[in-house]
Parts: sequence; C-alpha cells; structure tokens
Amino acid sequence: MQNVITYLTIFLTALVMQAQTDSAVNTESAPTKYQQGMQKAFQLWQENKSWEAANVFERIAVAETDNWLPPYYVAQINVINSFTEKDGTKLKAQLDKAQNFINDATAISKDNPDLLVLQAQLYTAWIVYDGQQYGMTYSAKASELYSKALALAPDNPRIILAKAEWDMGGAKYFGQSLEPYCKDIQRAIDLFATFKPAGEFYPSYGEERAKQIKAKSCN
Amino acid sequence: MKILVHTFLLAIFPSLFFAQTNISGMVLDTKGVPIYGANVYLEGAYDGSTSDENGKFSFETSETGVQTLVVSYVSFEATKITEDIAKMHDLKIQLREDVNSLETVTISAGSFSAGDNSKISVLKPLDIVTTAGTLGDFVGALQTLPGTTTVAEDGRLFVRGGDADETQIFIDGIRVFTPYSPTTNNVPARGRYSPFLFDGITFSTGGYSAEYGQALSSVLLLNTIDEPGQEKTDIALMTVGGSLGHTEKWKKSSLSVNAAYINLAPYFVLFPDRNDWKKPFETASGEAVFRQRIGDGLLKIYGAFDTSDFELTQEDINNPEGAQFKLNNKNFYTNASYTKMLNNNWTIFGGGSYTLGNTKIGIDEAAIKDVENSAHLKLKLKKRFNNRFILNFGAEQFITDFDENYNDPDFAAMLGFYNNISAAFTEADIIFSRKLALKLGVRGEYSELFKEFTVSPRVSFAYKTGKNSQLSLAYGDFFQQPDSDVLKFTNKLEAQQTQHYIMNYQYSANNRIFRAEVYRKQYNNLVTYNDEFPNVNSNFQNNGDGYAQGLDLFWRDNKTLKNIDYWVSYSYLDTERKYKNYPVEATPSFANTHNLSVVAKYWINDWKSQIGFSYQYGSGRTYTDLNTPGFLQNKTKSYNNVSLNWAYLLSQQQILYVSVNNVFATRNVNGYQYANTADANGNFARRELLPAADQFFFVGFFWTISDDGKDNQLDNL
Repeated sequence: MQNVITYLTIFLTALVMQAQTDSAVNTESAPTKYQQGMQKAFQLWQENKSWEAANVFERIAVAETDNWLPPYYVAQINVINSFTEKDGTKLKAQLDKAQNFINDATAISKDNPDLLVLQAQLYTAWIVYDGQQYGMTYSAKASELYSKALALAPDNPRIILAKAEWDMGGAKYFGQSLEPYCKDIQRAIDLFATFKPAGEFYPSYGEERAKQIKAKSCN
Repeated sequence: MKILVHTFLLAIFPSLFFAQTNISGMVLDTKGVPIYGANVYLEGAYDGSTSDENGKFSFETSETGVQTLVVSYVSFEATKITEDIAKMHDLKIQLREDVNSLETVTISAGSFSAGDNSKISVLKPLDIVTTAGTLGDFVGALQTLPGTTTVAEDGRLFVRGGDADETQIFIDGIRVFTPYSPTTNNVPARGRYSPFLFDGITFSTGGYSAEYGQALSSVLLLNTIDEPGQEKTDIALMTVGGSLGHTEKWKKSSLSVNAAYINLAPYFVLFPDRNDWKKPFETASGEAVFRQRIGDGLLKIYGAFDTSDFELTQEDINNPEGAQFKLNNKNFYTNASYTKMLNNNWTIFGGGSYTLGNTKIGIDEAAIKDVENSAHLKLKLKKRFNNRFILNFGAEQFITDFDENYNDPDFAAMLGFYNNISAAFTEADIIFSRKLALKLGVRGEYSELFKEFTVSPRVSFAYKTGKNSQLSLAYGDFFQQPDSDVLKFTNKLEAQQTQHYIMNYQYSANNRIFRAEVYRKQYNNLVTYNDEFPNVNSNFQNNGDGYAQGLDLFWRDNKTLKNIDYWVSYSYLDTERKYKNYPVEATPSFANTHNLSVVAKYWINDWKSQIGFSYQYGSGRTYTDLNTPGFLQNKTKSYNNVSLNWAYLLSQQQILYVSVNNVFATRNVNGYQYANTADANGNFARRELLPAADQFFFVGFFWTISDDGKDNQLDNL
C-alpha cells in the first residue's frame, strides 16, 4: 500500500551509481595484484561492462578473504542492476547473490555503514519490484538500517545523503516541508568537499547525486 | 641489489619466471545451450575470464600444478574442477540449474500462502487486513479464498464441506487450541489474535504435510515475525474501543506488546441490533511476543490473554420471553519455540504451547462451567542434504484435560476427559529438477483415550508444464478425534478419518495468478449418536460417513487496471454426510453449492486514499422444514453482502479508516428456527435466523509513533 506512494517515486532514481573515479593508484611503487585487479574491475564498470566487472570483483573476493571491498562491489553491482530488472526470477537470483556477498562482507567488517546502506538499498530493490508484497516489512527494515548507519558515521556525507534521500520521498508525498532534508543534503555537499575515502578503492560516490537532488528538490 | 636484478628481469622477461598456461573451454547448461557471462577463474588466484556469447572462455595463468577452477553463474549451481592446470584446456563444463530459484516448481496442491517467504503468494501480507468487510480479522480475509463456505453467522473457517472444528490453527508450528473468541448464536466469532504480530500465513484446504495432524479438512499456519523492523508505538481509537501497541528492540532481542479493549455498549446505543443486550459485548486482551537471538538460534515466546463478557436475551420461538444467554470467558495462551541451525545443514526446532480456557455460560436457568487445560509439545529435525533432498522428522504430544460442571434446577453433572495423543512424522522433499518435485511423508498417532494407533501416508507431487504454469497432485489420509462435546460423554470411539485427492493447476505471470483445483474428500468413521444433543445416555458410534467434492477457482490480477488490484474466487461444492444424529445422508447446513467472492482495492493517489470493495455471494444453505417430510430438504435464499472501506492517510503516520459492512443492507437469512410443537392446524411455526444486525459501521483513527516517522498502521487495518 505504501508502495506506490513513496517508494517508486523516490528510489528508482536513488541508486544512480557514479563510477569510482579516484581509482588512480599510487604510482610510487609497482601496483600489486590486488590493485591491478581492482583497477581492471573499475575500468570495466566504467565501460558499462558491469557484469564483467562483477566477475572480476568476485574473483578478487575469493582470493582476498579478509577484505570487505571486493564482495561489497559484487553485491552493489547486483543490487544496482536489480532496479531495472523486471523479470522476477532474475531479480531474485541477483538479489540472493547480492545478499550472499553482503553477508560475506559483513563477516569481515562488522557495523560498516556502507554495508548497512547497501543492505537497505537491497531491500529497496525488493520494494520497487513489488511494494504490496515487500513494502510493509522491508521499508521498516530499511529505515532502521539508515538510522543505524547514520549513528555509526554521523559525518559521512554519503550516509547523510542516503538517509536524507530516503526520508525526502515520504515528506514530498505528504506535502511536508523538505527543509530539514535539504539542510542535510547541503551538509553532505559541504562534507563531500573535504571527504577523503578511508582507503584505496573505498566507496567515494555521492557528491554528484547530492548536487542533483539539491538542484531538483531544494531551494 | 639482488632485488634490483629480480625486478629488471621480471620487467623484461616475465615468462622466465612465470610460465603462462592457457586455460580454455566452454560453459553449457544441461541441455547443451552455451552460457554467456559465466565467471570462470582459478580459486584463490586472480586469473579468470567471463564466457562469451558462445559460452567460450580462455585465459592465461602463471599458476602451475593442481588448481581448482571455479565456474559460476547466477541461478546455476557453481561447479569446481580440481586438476593439473596443464590439462585444463578445451574443457566442457556443464552447469546444473540452481533449484533454489523462483522458477522451480512448488507443491501448490491445496495450499495458499501469504507473506514474504513464499515463492508465489496468493494473498499479500497487507491483504489480510485491508480487505473490505473483514475489520482486521485474519480469518475474514481467508474467507475470500476459494474452498471456504460463507457461514456468516458463525465467523469461523468452514473448508470444503467440513465443519469448523475440522480446521486447526498453528502459531509457529505449535497448535492453538482455542483460536476463536467465544460468541453466541448469530454473532460471528473472530480470530483471537491480532494480525499484526504475524508475517507469514499459509492456508491449506487439503493435502497438507505430515507434520500436521488432528485436522480432517484444513490447517492454517501463522508465523510470528522473527525480527520487527523498528521501534514504534501504535495507538488506535475506534468507535468500538481502542488499542495500544509498542515494540522495543535491543541488540539481540525484541519485545512487542499489544493491549486492546473493545466495548460495544456505545455502539448499540447508536445502532441497536436485534438482540436485547443486558451487558453488551466487552473484551479486554493483551498479547506479547519476545524474541531473542542466541548464536545461530532464535527463541520466540508468545503469550496472549483475553477476557470476554456479555449477557443478552435472544428471540426464541419456543419462549416468548426470549432465551437468556450470558458468557464469561478467560483465555490464556502461551507458546514458545526455539530454532537453531546446527552443523552439517541440520536444523533443530523445539516448541510447546499451553492453553488455559475458563468459560462460564448461563443459558436460561442452566449454569455451565468449563475448564480446559491443553498443551502441545513438538520436536523437529531437518537435514538439508543438498538443495535437492531435504528430510524432516519429528515427534509431538497433545494433552487435553477438560472438565465441565453442569448445573440446572433439576440436574447436575460433572463431566470431563483426559486426552493424550502421541505422534511421530517424517517427510522428504525431493526436487528432481526445476520441473519436478515430490514430497513423501507418513505420520503415526497413538491415542491413549481410544487405545488406538493410526497411520497416515501423505504424498504430493508437482510438475512444471510451462514457463509459468504447473500441475500438482496430492493424496493424504487424515485423522482427528471428536471434540469435547462428545469426548466428555464417552471414550469408546475411534478417530474420525478423511482421505483427500487433489489436482491443482496454477498459472502465474506478470502479477497475475490463476488457480484451478478439483478435489474429492472421503469421510469415514464419523461420530453418530441417537439424541437431539449428545448426552450421558446417548449411544455413540463411529457409523457416519460422507464425501465432499468440487472445484475451486481463483484469479488475481493487479496488472491490467492501473492502481486496481482485484481477485475473484469461486467454489463449487457437492457434499453429503451422515453424522451426529442425521437420520439419512444429507448436505449439512454449513455447506452450500456455490460461493463467490470479489475483492478489489483501488489506490487513489491524489486523495492519498485506498478504497476497498468486497462482494460475497453464497447460494442457499440447507435447513429442515418441519412442515414437509424430509431432513435438511430445503434451502434458504442466497447470501449477498457488499462491503466498502476507505483508508485515508492524514499524514505519514496518521490514518483515518471508515468501513461499512453490507452497504445495501441486504437482509440475509441464515436459517430458520421451528417451534417444538405444532399449532392447532398441525403447522409448525418458524422464525428467521437473522444476523444480529444487517449492517456494521466502523470508524477508526490510527496513529503510529516511530523514530523514522514513516511507518503506519495501514497494514493492521
């Protein structure tokens, strides 16, 4: 029921992935096998060969069993591609796969806000696919994950953005003020200016998205 | 220095250090069709490739010796080959389809599921509560499914020609002994439990698993939520009462509580009904679910207490002053279960329930006091050998201790029984391929009361006939002991028995579902007696039998019409039986030939509203006309009911809800009561058995308070 209302409008657009642009490798020393592999994967992704990129990430994930980033990206590609998938069978297969990789990544890195957000986005994919069926249970779970992620990383602009965007949809529908969420978006944009990913290949997307939302919904 | 040389050599002659081996081959499915996009790689190394349009792959590696090649692709089972990589060329790798997929056939004969866990849901979680006319009673929503009979004055589930007590209800796999709140003639019963604590419902109208016993016709399985979404408080203010709920979460545990108070007195002042209420219906109830994660295990404890009280005078043709009826019921139910994943794909489930029911009934001068103590204990083990073979087995125990104290000015009696049933079951799920699945089970039960052992085989089978369609067959034997109305007088009986034969066709695609099911149910060993009502002197026997056969159709579509979701159910039923004190085989008064339900929900975005509509049609039901020869030989006129509801979202967390049951105030006659004695002309006078009120109006305001400001109670209405 809540389905049609909020979710479709908001979240279909929410997950436009911006390519990881800062994958440039420190050129001081020869790149390691890991760096080469990750670079290759991001390159494929930028060339719109996302499934091949996912395959490379999966290979790295199998080899690097204590690094949460490769499984995170395998899951992210599967989640993002699910938003446009209309075939329920494929959707389930992809989201099951994404869930497995999120589980793997979570086992390596607990209470990781980026993984919590990805999990919330996975639930959102189910809601977008069939709100009547999944809206009721998954929207509450997603809300909780966003809150938890924000509590863990109150100054991470990507997390601020993700939560604000989720909250904005419902507010828009009921004609409530977007003011508080616009403030959050602005704060995210300000923080993005100085945001440094915690390490090489760490997620760094979001700035463009935040500016788009600001241009579209705030002022 | 040494390092420098190394680096130098490495740069110029990499092959000196890393002899490159070429690995190549083809990835196919089991039918020989190439798979495009499969991930082929050496485990633990970075080397690998993606198969092309022709399923071909080829890559170089510097690894040597024995390695493991992994081939994986979404919706197929990953395959590994361990061998010397020198031999890994021109490989032909066949991937088996993963049967843990939506495309895999499911055994659908006899059962409807609602919830997230089922692959194909006939009802969605919200339907339980947003169906017009049901007022949040989960049983009401199920009555819009085929296979059920409209018995408006009763409110319980009547399935495929079966009496209401032939359906058993289970919460988290554990039996509920008293699922309905008590009521009196012509006032429909409601399910005791609030729908918002459950997230999965399976309703089986026949051919169910060997795990479930003591049900001749049907089982209804309710699962409580494993983990609530978030902390919140729910407040409801209604024209008939109010409720308050709260959910609290901690790191590994959570608690949900809900309390409700219903009092119909103000409502009857505004809309008097046909009964003369001395004490209008009043009920107070409380429910709580506690969940705790312990490692890989989950412990759930559910408890519910409710007390109902009312007193009224009902019209009675044999008593000009009317029949006096009063009732006071206190019911406590608790249920605890623990599930844990063990090593090697074993899962263990243990659980139990205890019910204490205390009912005081006054009918005219008679006072009846019932006390029922019941318990159910169950232990179940599951072993998943692989995705294609799963074995379940377990044992359970049902204990009922029933005492009745009957008192009227002329007569007093103490009645009761102690009933102990032990059962064991085992069942195997075998999935041959995505197209073919089989479920084989057997159940044994021993009744201490009857000193009788019964064995029930159960088989079901499903075959996928096309991409979106499938055919299922089911057969099973089912046993059930007579209920307390009989057991309190005798134990010299045997279990009653049914056999189900079911054939089901299901088509499901693009948010449209069509189901057709034909069935035959054979009744044996039904309990008979020779008096108008069973009593101490009655002669009880297992002489009864009967049959029920028919066709159930279901169609649901939320695709064709924009913002409209609708379903249509139709049931054709042909049934006759000889049981109780029937002189001949006849169609019982709770069964009719045709039942039709149409339910539609229309979402109006601009109004932030959902309008719900439902239409129920039931052809006439049988009654005995004392003025012509015969037994259950006449039929009432048909039943018609159109109900509407409107849910308006005031804000994200506030909902206004209005509903009208039986909009056109159709006068539905449920049956007739005849005078005990004929008048001077030899004619027996009769009166219509009408519902207490033709219409029911309801207005409610629902408010949810949660941190995120999003959740609301729409799902609970």
